[in-house]
Formats: sequence, structure tokens, C-alpha cells
Amino acid sequence: MARASLLISPELCIGCRACQIACKSWNQLPGDKTANRGTFENPADLTPDLYNKIRFIEVPSEANPVRWLFVSQRCMHCDDAGCMKICPAPGALYKTKEGAVAFNKDKCIGCKLCAAACPFNVPRYDKNDKVSKCNLCADRIANNMAPACAKTCPTGAISYGDRDAIITKSQKAGYSKLYGQADLGGLGALYAFHDAPKLYGLDEKPVIPEMVVFWHQYLKPLSWIGIGGTAALMLLHYVAIGPKKDKEGNDDAK
Amino acid sequence: MQNSDLVRKESTFGIVNHWALAISCIVLTISGFGFLFHLEGIGNAFGGFPAMKGIHNWAGVVFTASLVLSMFNWLKEALTFDSDDLGWILTAGGYLSHKAKVPPMHKLNTGQKFFYLTLLVSGFAIIATGFVIWLMPENKPALVWSHFIHNVSFIIISAFLPIHIYLSTLGNPGTIPIMITGKIPYGWAKKKHSKWIKELEEGRSH
Amino acid sequence: MTNHWVDLKNADVVLVMGANPASNHPISMRWIMKARENGGKLVVVDPRFTQTAAKADLYAPIRSGTDIAFLGGMIKYIIDHNLYFREYVINYTNAPFLVNPDFKTPSQLDGVFSGYDEKTHKYDKKSWSYQMDEKGVAKKDLTLKDPNCVFQLLRKQYARYTIDKVSSITGTTKEKLQGVYAAIGSTGKPNRVATVCYAMGWTQHTVGVQNIRAFSMIQLLLGNMGMAGGGINALRGESNVQGSTDYGLLFDILPGYNPAPIASVIDLKTYIEKFTPKTKETRSVNWWSNRSKYITSYLKAIYGDNATKENEFGYSWLPKLDEGMNASWLNLFNEMFKGKFEGFFAWGQNPACSGANANKVRNALSKLKWMVNVNLYDNETGSFWKGPGMNTKEIQTEVFMLPCASSVEKEGSISNSGRLAQWRRKAIEPIGKSIPDAEIMNELYFKVKKLYQKEGGKFPAPIVNLSWNYGPKDDKGRIEHIDIHKVAMEINGYYLADIYDKKVDPPKLIGKKGELCTNFVSLQDDGTTSCGCWLYSGSYTQKDGKIINMMERRGKDDPTGLGLYSGWAWAWPVNRRIIYNRASVDQQGNPWDPQRAVIKWNPTKINPATDKPGVWEGDVPDGPAPPLADEKGGKLPFIMRADGVGAIFGPGMADGPFPEHYEPLECPLQENPMSKKHRINPTVKLFFGKEGDLAEDVFYSCDTRYPFVCTTYRVTEHWQTGVMTRHVPWLLEAQPQMFVEISNELAKEKGFKNGEKVTVSSARGSLWAIAIVTDRFKPFKVMDTTIHQVGIPWHFGWQFPPDGSGGESANLLTPTIGDPNTMIPESKAFMVNIEKARG
Repeated sequence: MARASLLISPELCIGCRACQIACKSWNQLPGDKTANRGTFENPADLTPDLYNKIRFIEVPSEANPVRWLFVSQRCMHCDDAGCMKICPAPGALYKTKEGAVAFNKDKCIGCKLCAAACPFNVPRYDKNDKVSKCNLCADRIANNMAPACAKTCPTGAISYGDRDAIITKSQKAGYSKLYGQADLGGLGALYAFHDAPKLYGLDEKPVIPEMVVFWHQYLKPLSWIGIGGTAALMLLHYVAIGPKKDKEGNDDAK
Repeated sequence: MQNSDLVRKESTFGIVNHWALAISCIVLTISGFGFLFHLEGIGNAFGGFPAMKGIHNWAGVVFTASLVLSMFNWLKEALTFDSDDLGWILTAGGYLSHKAKVPPMHKLNTGQKFFYLTLLVSGFAIIATGFVIWLMPENKPALVWSHFIHNVSFIIISAFLPIHIYLSTLGNPGTIPIMITGKIPYGWAKKKHSKWIKELEEGRSH
Repeated sequence: MTNHWVDLKNADVVLVMGANPASNHPISMRWIMKARENGGKLVVVDPRFTQTAAKADLYAPIRSGTDIAFLGGMIKYIIDHNLYFREYVINYTNAPFLVNPDFKTPSQLDGVFSGYDEKTHKYDKKSWSYQMDEKGVAKKDLTLKDPNCVFQLLRKQYARYTIDKVSSITGTTKEKLQGVYAAIGSTGKPNRVATVCYAMGWTQHTVGVQNIRAFSMIQLLLGNMGMAGGGINALRGESNVQGSTDYGLLFDILPGYNPAPIASVIDLKTYIEKFTPKTKETRSVNWWSNRSKYITSYLKAIYGDNATKENEFGYSWLPKLDEGMNASWLNLFNEMFKGKFEGFFAWGQNPACSGANANKVRNALSKLKWMVNVNLYDNETGSFWKGPGMNTKEIQTEVFMLPCASSVEKEGSISNSGRLAQWRRKAIEPIGKSIPDAEIMNELYFKVKKLYQKEGGKFPAPIVNLSWNYGPKDDKGRIEHIDIHKVAMEINGYYLADIYDKKVDPPKLIGKKGELCTNFVSLQDDGTTSCGCWLYSGSYTQKDGKIINMMERRGKDDPTGLGLYSGWAWAWPVNRRIIYNRASVDQQGNPWDPQRAVIKWNPTKINPATDKPGVWEGDVPDGPAPPLADEKGGKLPFIMRADGVGAIFGPGMADGPFPEHYEPLECPLQENPMSKKHRINPTVKLFFGKEGDLAEDVFYSCDTRYPFVCTTYRVTEHWQTGVMTRHVPWLLEAQPQMFVEISNELAKEKGFKNGEKVTVSSARGSLWAIAIVTDRFKPFKVMDTTIHQVGIPWHFGWQFPPDGSGGESANLLTPTIGDPNTMIPESKAFMVNIEKARG
């Protein structure tokens, strides 16, 4: 099946936060006690009970007192997912057939390595240390429904569909390149905007930490070679040369 | 002494410590491979990956304790080198040719010393980073570094395991009793660790 | 709304002024964004750079309470630059009407119109009349040159509203003013249209109605009324507030906006005589001339067989207002404060937080003997007696809490701002012991009726004679459970006898006895039809014997592409989606804008109703009459007005036929820049300043103790006083506390840091709030002084969260003053002080 993805268009986002609430509703996550920190933005960060957050960003403007940007922060569903790369537990993080990176708390071992490997600082951990993050409403998309956030968004700032179709449509709409089109194997959450990613708090070039990549790509195979190689070497030695005989020993043993 | 008389090479403490080290190391290695290569068979054998993490963590505690305690047993010996050690290296410990003449050895031969030191260094590396991963997961840079070092250390340690196990069983018949009774035949010991036997007889060593 | 929500997408220019749809009507932003997608421009005028402003093509800041100055300047600009749609203005508005030469404008009388009485603060409107010809129709100058014609009087009225003057009043820069004026003014062409979205930002002022009047006049000048993507569109907030006023919940109306009778209107004959507008203009439909049919059918609906010709259908049983009585909210709570009420039903409301001058309201509640709090939750009203500052031991009020079901726990219709009534089904059973409001009313009704029947009383007839046909009755005549469909059917109305159209020969049967009415056209004034609310006649109807709940329809066809969706649910009147749509065509019936044609006259197609050629296509036309040019039957477009044309001159208003800028009650200026004599609206009822007035109603202006202009507004996450939303953990998590938005400049002056607690106070009360320091508020340069404006939401209350961490109600600060036409409180502009929070 073709890869599906979200298209997030901050230029259409009105900051109504229906998506933030719809996500909590669909996933039946509890509400946390928060305080107003001098902004509409709340909670302050993604949490194990907050998979999708709208950030309110005020930047200088020429025509007006400010420019007020609203942008959704959430799991980017990378094709080359750093979290999955580093995860020691099979099935704790997995790819759905639509291309979403979903999670299974029963299989998660609570090591929290995934947050360290994520270029976007997304995974969070519940009170049992189990991974919690946007899973693109894996149950909804498996039944041909859009994720709760996309379904609820009144202006289409979040939409869901076939990834190629989204890219084509955005190009026709004047977005020559989408954020996340090629990065990390192609993100499952594509962002369409005309400004620099920096303005929206996104890294120009998001990468998985180099050490994680280096380990995973080059050194990890060596561990089989390591133990397998020496085991084979010992077998070879046993067959070719053989064990030390009883009469062998050092010279001055008289 | 008769050649067949038994000499004590390892104390009870040493034996227990060695077994603790060995068993915890094997548990850690097997579970480590399970984590590294997502081996479901291994995971299931441990009762699931979440349970395996718990076992891996506590086996690590045992490994740490026994590694630290082993220093009291072997470290001094392992840090003592002389020209015979060079000779041992040049003769490849006698493992590449039955005709090679190996220089006389102390309680631990050169190979054993090098192995122990390697295990100590990579062991402490794997332990320290293991504890960081277990207890300091909020510190992302520490986690990334630790993950890397932990795994590299794992390659080293796991590469040495087949060598160590082979050389202390099939490769050197007669070695195993050291780890069970702690005692070996006098004649065998004189051949393998003549300098140690000499010191023992001279009362300079134990 | 004259138009509807989806129609916003058809506009070339969307003006958002006195509203913030992105925050408060997110679904409506969907259509505004679609307008932008189609090449339209979004213009936002607001004291604060809001979430809507964040999407605007043009944003202009404005000091709260100066909308008429802003719009007056726009009128001047449109006239000066000849941007008005001349043919439309001449033929469809009263612009050419000649006014009584005694009429004088504020420019001549230093702030008031002719006929102002200094003592009563009211106008004698004699001079606000037209010069009549021999036929009894207003004289007109179709060249618009006569100095007494409405158009020239309009020019005279707004001559003072130069861009310089407007800028110094509103604090908006001249460039921004010009930009907005040019954008709106560009839609005076037949193929360009502007719409306006307004809400409390326009209504909650002492000049609220005139704010709206001002833009209605502009829409008439530009020819935007009746057009797709045009009109005057109130973003009514509560999902069913449209329904509430449609069904007469306000004190001065009966269902269908029929006036509530007053004591001097002693019988039905007098009522019909007094309230049926008459006109000699033959081309005017004057639809309110049908008043008698609607009031009679209403009486038949509620009193059933007890309503007879002999007893004037029970007219004497209708409650009557005392002469001159205004029982609106501010007066009501004023009387309550004085101890005039024994009991009070707080039905789905929270006056302790929603009423202006909330401290006064809370104290007023303590004078009651009993209160019934019907709500989903306990709130600041039900628990007023243990609120902060309340002397619980002294309070004698007995409070009854009746838990009621929420809108998803019951079936029924909801009428939105676009006049669209959508039927909703029950999703889940009500929790605990809560029951729908209708069931509560049903139980109360039968209990009260039984008491009246047993014990008698002062006047049992109005209650005892109600037909109350809302469900199956047991042998005692009691209804166990309301069938809401029966209510909807009574509203639609029934034919109580066979009804014939006697205008044709032979007479045609248009209604069979016992069947549901087709629509209000067939209603009669002789007691042969019943109808609970004439506007909704046709909403639950019968066709070929089959009963159809029109409000339940979900048809998605859109043949015109304008988003009318005529098959989706049902809109009043008669499913007309854009009202005054006769103004969207020229006198021949051809659309001004063929690309966005709402209706179109097809002269050759056979009309199935008359079997003759000539029929309207598109939306339901505003009356089936042929186009205006038709000598015999042509009709003017504004069918609800007696003279059939749009009112640029509006003599029906209490405070003037043209809007005039007055400062808010509490304002930062000593003097009204437009008038030395009249600083505030000269016809408002003041609650403070005379002997006998309550100290609670104190207000100050130009007082250094309260130097900042404060406005109130809403957030997406909370609803009204927050009774429902503060109880939803997700919503409280997203927006947990009372805050005040302050400019960086003001924060620097006072040493406030973003996120710190401050105290906001007015003459009437104070509360703490978290300071949000932002550039979205900027100081205004007004009359050579710098005026700071701040803003607060009004969603919080002491009762929940129980630890008080949410904060208190903004209405603790607001003044007791209202618009002279509607008495809606001036919550959008009053004066406050802000200090660092103590402790």
C-alpha cells in the first residue's frame, strides 16, 4: 500500500487547538494541571499525555505589530526513524503499513533511548516509563479514517492522505519543496510553508545523532563478526592445531 | 610433591566470584544480543523483552560487583609484566605450533593477563555506560554517548568470550578444575605456571 | 445573519470587525479561508492582533468603542470617491427619500439630532420623518441632489469624519484607515462583494446597535445586501442563541419576533392595529402586514381549543408588560438587588459570572427567597451564598439544584446564526438523575397547573388553559415524557380546518384539516390555523400525506456552487438561505453578478405554482413576485420593511437615524472629540449619579485611578462563563487561568514581567490575572495622548477549580450600562488599573 502522510500547513493554522484536544479525546489521555506561563501555549512541552501540541510563536513583522505563527509539534513519522533504529525491544516501536511509526507499550522496555535518537525530541514516557507519542491514530488509519487531528481541523491545516498525492498537490499550490520531503528517508509529517524552517522552530537539516547512525550502520554488524569470527577461529584452531598436549609446558619444568 | 598431588590455584572466594562473573556475563551477553538484534526467541526465553531488561539490569549489578571483587583477586598479578611476557607473545603462547617453546609463566600467563585487563577496561566501560542508560535517561547527550560506548564495549567483550571459553576448556585440557575445585595437579601446574610454583615452594607466594 | 456561514467563502473582501472567528468560531474560519483560497482578502479591525488577524491580508488596530468613528470615515470615503453602487442605492434604499426639513444632525446641534429632550434623555422623532406626496408615499429625488434627501443628509452627517479626525479618535494610522476603506470601497461594483463578520465587539457597547447600523448602511451603499458573499453577518455565539430569540426568550418579544404586548394594548384588535405596519407604497410587500395571522395562529397553538373567536383566542391570558417597562437583564438585576423578587430560575445560565457588574449581581441574588439553578454543574450562581465576600450566615436564599441533560443527551433542533435549524439525535443517555430541560418544564407545568386547579389563585387561566400537546396524556391529562417532535410540530403549525385560496376561481384547497402547515403563507387570522412560531412554519411539515422533519435532511447537493446546500436541514424563512436576495438582481431580475447569482428571473420557464411563464431560479426568492420592472406585480426587495427599501436613514432607532460617535461610558477622554456637549450616548439609561442610585453602579471617566482601557473577549478553549469547559480537564489544561494581555510598552512602564500575577481593578471590583505581555496590543495615539488598552477573557469563576487556581470573572469589573435600544451591557470598553499582585 502506498505510504500515507500528514500535510501540516501552518499558514492555514488558526491556532484553535482543536487538533490538540481531539488527539487527547481519541486516545483518552488525561488532562494535566497546568499554569498560564504568559502565553496561550499550554502545556509547555509534549508530555506522555500530549502527543500533539500547537506552538504559538510571535516574530517581528513589518506590516503589523507582530506575525503570530501557529505550528503543530508532534512525531514526524520518519521513514528512517531514529527511535526505531536505537530501540532494543522489537515491536515497541513499529511501522504500520501506512508508514506511521506506532508504539506498543506492552513491548516497550522503558529504556528511553528513543528520545535520545529522535531528531525532533518527540518521545515521552508515562509513569511506567513506557514510550508515548503520536502514533498517527494507527487504529483509525488502519480503518481508512483520517487521524483525529486531521479530521477535526477546520481549515485543513492538518490533512492526511497519500504521500505522493500530497506532494504533487502542494507543488501545484506553489510550495516548490515541502519540509520533510527528503529528510530522514522522507518524513510522514510534511510541512508546507514559504518561510525558513527556523522561523517555525524546525531544524533546517534534521538528523539522527551521528553516533547512533555510525553505530547502527557500520559497527553493529561487527558484533556478529566479532563473536562469530572468534568462535569460528577457535573451531578452526581446534581442528587445525588442536588442544595443548599434556607434555607441553615451559622449558624449565623438570 | 608428586606430580599428581593437587595444588590450590584458586580460593573459594575466587571460584564463586569467577562463576558470578561468568554467569552474569553470559546472561548479559545473550540478552544483549537479544536487544541488539531484536531476537524474539531470546526475548521470549527471558519472559518478554520488558522482563529481559530487568534481568539484564540486575545481572549487570552482579557483573559489576563480581568484576570489582575480582580486582582483589587478579589485578595485582595482571599488572605484573616481565620479559617472559614478551616471549610468550612471540611464541603466540604456544598455540600456533605444538613445537613452540613458551617461556615460564607466573600464576597468570600473558594471555590471561591481557584478557583480564581488556575485560576490566571494557567491562568498566560497559558497566558505567550501562548504569547511565539505566539511571540517567533524561540526559540525552549522555545517553547517546553511553549507547555507543556500551555497544562498542560489547563487541570487544563478546569477541573475547569464545577465545576465553575455548582456551579454558577444549584448548587447554585440565584447566576446568581451577574453576570447580580450585585445585590442579602439581605436575600440570609446574609445566604451565612454573614461576608461580617456584614462588609457592619458596614461600614467597600463595 | 442575512446570509449564512458557508456563504462567507463567496466574498471578495471579508471584513472582520468586532469579532474573532479564528478563536471563537473556528469552523467559520474554514469558510473565510476558502474565500482567501478563491482570491478573497481578509481585513481585520480589532484593538488586539488576534488569531484572526494572524491570517489577515490587512490588519488595522482600533481603540475599543470607536467603531462609529471608523465606519463614519468609511462612509465619507465611499461618498467622496464615488464608490457607491448608484443604481442599487437609488432603487433599493431610502437614499432618495426627502426628509422633513426640520430634521437636524449632530453637526448642527453639537452632538444630538433634532428632537432631543435634555430631561428625559429621549428623542421626539417628529422631525425624523419624510415629506409625503399626495398618495401618502415618501417624496423622492432620484438624482440624489436635493439637500433634504437622505443621501445628502448622509453626506452632511459624515462630513466631519475626515481621515485625520477619525485617526485621532480611533488611534488607527491614516495609512491603515485608507487601506481598509479602499478594500471595502472596492466592492461597490456589481461584480465585487464584501461581507462582514461581527459579534460582541460591535454589540456590547452603549452605541452597539448603531455600530451595526453603520455597516448595514455601508453594505447598502455598496450594493452588497442580498448578494452571495455579502450581507450583514452576526457571528452569534451560543449554538442555539438564534433559536432562543426566534422563540421569544427576550422580554420584549413573542415567538417569531412579534412584539410582546404591553398593558395599554388591551385586546387583540388593538394589538393588531398597533403592530401591523401600513404603507401606501404599492410596490412594497410589507410582509409584517400579515401580523394578525401570526399572532392569532400563535394563540391557537398554545391555547388550542380554549382559544376561540369569542375570547379573542386567549389574548387576555398573555402576560403584559407595564407601560414603559424594560425588563431586560440590567434592570432585572437592579430590581432584584432592591429586593423586588422572591424567586429566580437561573436556567442554563450563570449570572454570578455573566452579568455586568458581577458583584452587584451576586449581592442581588442574596436578596432572593429561593433560587432554582438548572444546569449541568453547580456554579458560581448556585453556590453564590458561599462565594468570596459573601456573608453566608446572613443569606436566607434557598437554592435548588436541578441537574439537566446536555445537548448530546437529548434530541431536538438547534438554530445557528445562519438561521439554519439542524435536527440532532440523542447520542447517549443523560447521566445520573439529570433530565432534559423540556422534561423539567413539563413536570413543573403539571405541578403548577395542579396547584392552580386545587387552590385557585390570582390568575390561573394563562397556565391552566395551555393546550400543552407535547406528548401522550394519561387519564389524568398528564404527560409522562415530552415528545420533542410534538413540540416541533406545534411550532410548525396545523391546519385546524380545510383552508382554501379564495383568490383563485374555483377556490383551491391549500391545506387539509389536521395536517401540518406547508409554510406561513397559508396561515390564517380567523383561528383556522395554529402555529407556534411563524418563522419556522415549514420546518416540520407534511407533503402528500407524508410527515417530513425538514430539519433532519442532510442533502449535500450544491447546484449553484455558492454553498447554499438547500437540501441540508432547513433555514427560516421557508428555507431561504440568503435573505433580501431580490436586491441581488436588477429591476429586470438579472443578477448584478452573474458569476455568483443567488436568484435569477427566467421569463419563459413555466411557474408550476401559477402555470404561467416567469419563475425565479436559484435560492428561494424573497417572495415569488416578478421583478420590480414588472408593471403589475413587481415588488421592492426589502420585504420586511413597510416601505420596501433598505434603510440608510433609520428613524426606528432610539439614539438617532444615523450613527454618531459617542465615547464609551467610562473612557479615557474628558470630551467627545465629535461633540463638546455630549460625551456619551445621550439616550442611555444611567444607573449612577442620581439620588437613589446604587453605590454599586459607580462609574468613572478620565480618572487617573483607572487609566487603561479594558476590553473583554473569549478564547477557543472556554465557553461563556466556563461552567462546562472548566470541568473538562483537556480544556483546562490548554487554557488554565485568568490572564490579562498587556502591551510591552505598558509592561515596561509598570515593571510587569510576562507570566507574573497582577491585579486588575475597576471602580466596581478587582481580580488577579496572569500577565501576557505581547506586541499584539500596542498603545494608541488618541487626540495627542497615549492610551493603553488591555484585554481579559471572561471564562473563569471562583467555584471551579475548587482551589481557585482558575481565577475570577471579568464581569466583576464591567459597568452597569447598556445600549439604549437593546440594553446589552457595554462589556467591551471600560477603565481599569493594573498593579503587581499583592501576596
